[in-house]
Amino acid sequence: MDHIAGGSLMDETSHTTRREWLASVLMGVGLVASYGVLAVEGLMFLLPKRLKPRTRLLFAGQIDRYKVGGVQGFYDLQGNQILVKRSESGFQAFSSVCPHLGCRVHWEVDKQQFFCPCHRGVFDANGVAISGPPAAAGQRLSQVPLKVDELSGVIYIEVKDAKRKQI
Amino acid sequence: MIPKEQSRKVASLRERMKAMFPFNWELLKHAGAEPVPYHLKKWWFCLGGTALYLFIVQVVTGIALTFYYVPSPDQAYASVAAITRDIRFGWFIRSLHKWSANFMIVAVILHMLRVYFTGAYRHPRQLNWCIGFLLLGTTLTFGFTGYSLVYEQLSFWGATVATNLAAAVPLIGPYLGYFLRGGTEVGENTLTRFFILHIGVLPTVAFILLSLHILLIRLQGVTELQFEGEVVPKEEQYFRFWPDHATTELMIGVLLMYLLTIVALIFPAGLGAPADPTQTPAHIKPEWYFYFNFRLLKLTSLRVSVVLTLGLGSIAFFWPFIEEWLSRRFRMPDAIPVTLGVLAFLSFLVLTIWESFSI
Amino acid sequence: MKLTTKRYIVAVLSFLFLAALLLVAYQESKQYRIEEEPGPVITTANKGCVDCHRRDAPALVMEWEHSRHGQFGVGCVDCHAAEKEDVDAWSHEGVYVSALVTPKDCARCHTREHAEFSRSHHAKAGEILASLDNVLAEKVAGMPGNIADAVNGCWQCHGSIVKVKRDEQGAIVRTGKEGKPVIDANTWPNSGMGRLNLDGSKGSCHACHSRHAFQAKLSRSPENCGKCHMGPDHPQIEIYNESKHGIAFYANRDRMALDKEGEWVLGRDYSAAPTCATCHISSYMTPQGISVANSHDVGERISWTLRPVISTKLNLVIYEDGYKEDYPETKPLPKVGDTVQTVEKVIENEKLINHPVPRRVAKIVTWSERRNLMKGVCLNCHNDTYVDNFYRQFDDLVVLYNEKFAKPAQQFMNELLADGVLKPNAPFEHDVQWVFWELWHHEGRRARHGASMMGPDYTHWHGMYEVSKHFYLEFLPAVVRAAEMQGPDLKQKYEQKIEQLLAQDAHIWQKGLSPAEAEALRKMYEERYHQTPGASN
Repeated sequence: MDHIAGGSLMDETSHTTRREWLASVLMGVGLVASYGVLAVEGLMFLLPKRLKPRTRLLFAGQIDRYKVGGVQGFYDLQGNQILVKRSESGFQAFSSVCPHLGCRVHWEVDKQQFFCPCHRGVFDANGVAISGPPAAAGQRLSQVPLKVDELSGVIYIEVKDAKRKQI
Repeated sequence: MIPKEQSRKVASLRERMKAMFPFNWELLKHAGAEPVPYHLKKWWFCLGGTALYLFIVQVVTGIALTFYYVPSPDQAYASVAAITRDIRFGWFIRSLHKWSANFMIVAVILHMLRVYFTGAYRHPRQLNWCIGFLLLGTTLTFGFTGYSLVYEQLSFWGATVATNLAAAVPLIGPYLGYFLRGGTEVGENTLTRFFILHIGVLPTVAFILLSLHILLIRLQGVTELQFEGEVVPKEEQYFRFWPDHATTELMIGVLLMYLLTIVALIFPAGLGAPADPTQTPAHIKPEWYFYFNFRLLKLTSLRVSVVLTLGLGSIAFFWPFIEEWLSRRFRMPDAIPVTLGVLAFLSFLVLTIWESFSI
Repeated sequence: MKLTTKRYIVAVLSFLFLAALLLVAYQESKQYRIEEEPGPVITTANKGCVDCHRRDAPALVMEWEHSRHGQFGVGCVDCHAAEKEDVDAWSHEGVYVSALVTPKDCARCHTREHAEFSRSHHAKAGEILASLDNVLAEKVAGMPGNIADAVNGCWQCHGSIVKVKRDEQGAIVRTGKEGKPVIDANTWPNSGMGRLNLDGSKGSCHACHSRHAFQAKLSRSPENCGKCHMGPDHPQIEIYNESKHGIAFYANRDRMALDKEGEWVLGRDYSAAPTCATCHISSYMTPQGISVANSHDVGERISWTLRPVISTKLNLVIYEDGYKEDYPETKPLPKVGDTVQTVEKVIENEKLINHPVPRRVAKIVTWSERRNLMKGVCLNCHNDTYVDNFYRQFDDLVVLYNEKFAKPAQQFMNELLADGVLKPNAPFEHDVQWVFWELWHHEGRRARHGASMMGPDYTHWHGMYEVSKHFYLEFLPAVVRAAEMQGPDLKQKYEQKIEQLLAQDAHIWQKGLSPAEAEALRKMYEERYHQTPGASN
């Protein structure tokens, strides 16, 4: 029971007991914790999950059909050509878009290099620019992840999906 | 006007802020020191605060839901489904919103009962009773418009029935119906209107009414009440608003959040079949708080039930004045308004329960 | 209530609230978000086809979109593209296509499967055109100008020889503004297992891997094989359905991982029951832990041939170029390194001809090695005594059929032929030929197949019971009647032969039961049914 005279406010004694202090602390902690968690859940509700862009695996030919040092071209879902190359060590896939000004490169089998006809940019077998404007800018052909399915003898390139769904 | 020399002087930070926002903070302190009559320690008296708290919950969860809800007939249901199934904690926010609505209506009704049976509507508090009554209507309309937004079968057909009922009101009926529907049939316009009513018009109305309601309470003070034979020692006649009563309110608030969360976990909001304007479901039912009306409609006819509802509603609205007028003319012991109140509430209960048992 | 108490209550309530919120978070973590199944990949090359055919044959396009091919961007052009020189190719909307997709087309990607399939017995299914079966269908049931029985019946399982219509000069008849070659309607549509295609390849992959969804779960299901492996002459699906294997399958279909992408290994991915594919094609676990790779050569694990009049064990000769030949036990095996003049059936000028090819022997696989491959499957569920004893039971049944009925019956038929009663150019002239035909081709096979796949009713009632009944009650009398056609002397000769046969121990039942056996028989019926079969009371 609070012994308060009618109407007037009388401060409690400045000496708060440990019990009273504990009650206040527990209450504060409890409120902050519970409403805090509620706020976090509410925030998660308001922030749609950022999905990594969905990728698709596209069939990119059979292993046996690739000659070592040979290249086959496949189109991704945005319409750009991806060049899949077989070397002694394995398979690599490169975007055919030249990093200089966006022209399309092609593979020169005899020279084992990628060549861009627009400004005569040249890229080595690993896609690194070695001559022309792209080399001057230290550029390289962007690599496309690929998957080698030994069991089926088939290659897949991993490209961005045309649509994505936000959750 | 502040003299130039003074403004160049290095004024203390506090003085500068005070000049920027010259509000008398002392007033708040005074308000917080407001002595609260002891009978407010009885739990029965916390119902108004409960309704207010639940309203705040509704505003917060409602705003959150509006981030994802799309008020167009072809996307409404899908957006609610997305909230329920895809959005993180969407099911939880939606369930909170749904249950808080139900709890709030219960709290409002119980609060109204408490006010009535403690005679707190009597002079000089008649206006507050009317405002409260309007708040009841606003709350029920919130419930109705909100449920229609889900655009399930029952939402659509419930809205059809309700707008038809509105259209049956004498005189203004047809215009009212036309206005609510945004046309001759429930359709695209209807959903948009209900949406704007629910998130714009009604909140504004509720805010204004609530402000008036609370202002009046503060200006007039809470009705002081003493039960027959009760003896209260003088020093306990009043207690502090802050921190005592405020902590009580806090207790209730946290308790409500806890209960709401539990109920949201055990009975999450679900989804019925999407609205199909071409197919009326075999059994249409409004939300439970309109059961009494629905049962009345089934017992009588459209016209009769609308007139009856409006008539009885008006009597209830003007009750403080009616009672005053009657008591001036006749000797009216307390038993009469109490009995009338009991009868009114019982009829509401009976009709509601009756309807809940029928298919 | 004191303020402190109130504060404690708030604290307690808020911790309860917190606990409830954590439950909410837990519930949220369990929520299963149904992500939209990624749609098919329609590459630029295929877009034109899809757009138009989606209108003309929407369900076909939808099935393709549903398939794994569709998910990886393998579309219409990738399978239907043809060379200008191909017999059935024509230029369709600017691309040379062929409606028929043959194993050679599938082999563009599925090389291993094609290599295995093309040397299997499935690929040879279409080579029955010189068989008695075909005679029955084309000549006995059919007539000149209308061989619809063969077309709709036999060939739909076994495969037709696909032909295009040609004019008198031999040029391909074409139709429409695109000049599409006209295919002989008798030969297409046809998805027979051993279809002989215009490009020289044998078989049809989509006989099992139905187009255009090419679902693995369809191919792995027993019903798939049951389209052809059924009926009076080889009721494999009926036997499977009767057997415990089949019962286990149908009760546990949802535990069979039929939909699993990639490998489907018994003893690792599923265990509830075997399907046809399990035993005859698919991978299984071995004690070494490795799985035996699936093989589209369905004969790899077969040790008996249950098809001919007299069953024999099957050895296998593999040549250096991968060509395989089954060698019945009765045929002497060559040695590794020998050059053998093999005879291959190929299509030349739209006719099936024998093509002699000399080949060098690379490997011999005996029938018991083949059987061990099959036993590897069994051992996943059964122990080796179980498996070995089963094979003993099975072997004994085949031997019983062989020795008691098949060999004597064949002997009689040979002798009737030698005596000029039967003519080699009239295989179904006399009723003894029909009876004999059904004896080995129908009930004889049913008995053997029933034993091979644990279908007791097929082994006995549909099998050996009918074999015995028809042998004694129909075949032997028919032999006598046939001989009688050549005169009473020949009739007497055969009656004597039959007497000699029936005097053997195998047929001792003909002499009747012993008194003890007869009494036991009578008593059994009396006690059980209070009736005596055959008696007057």
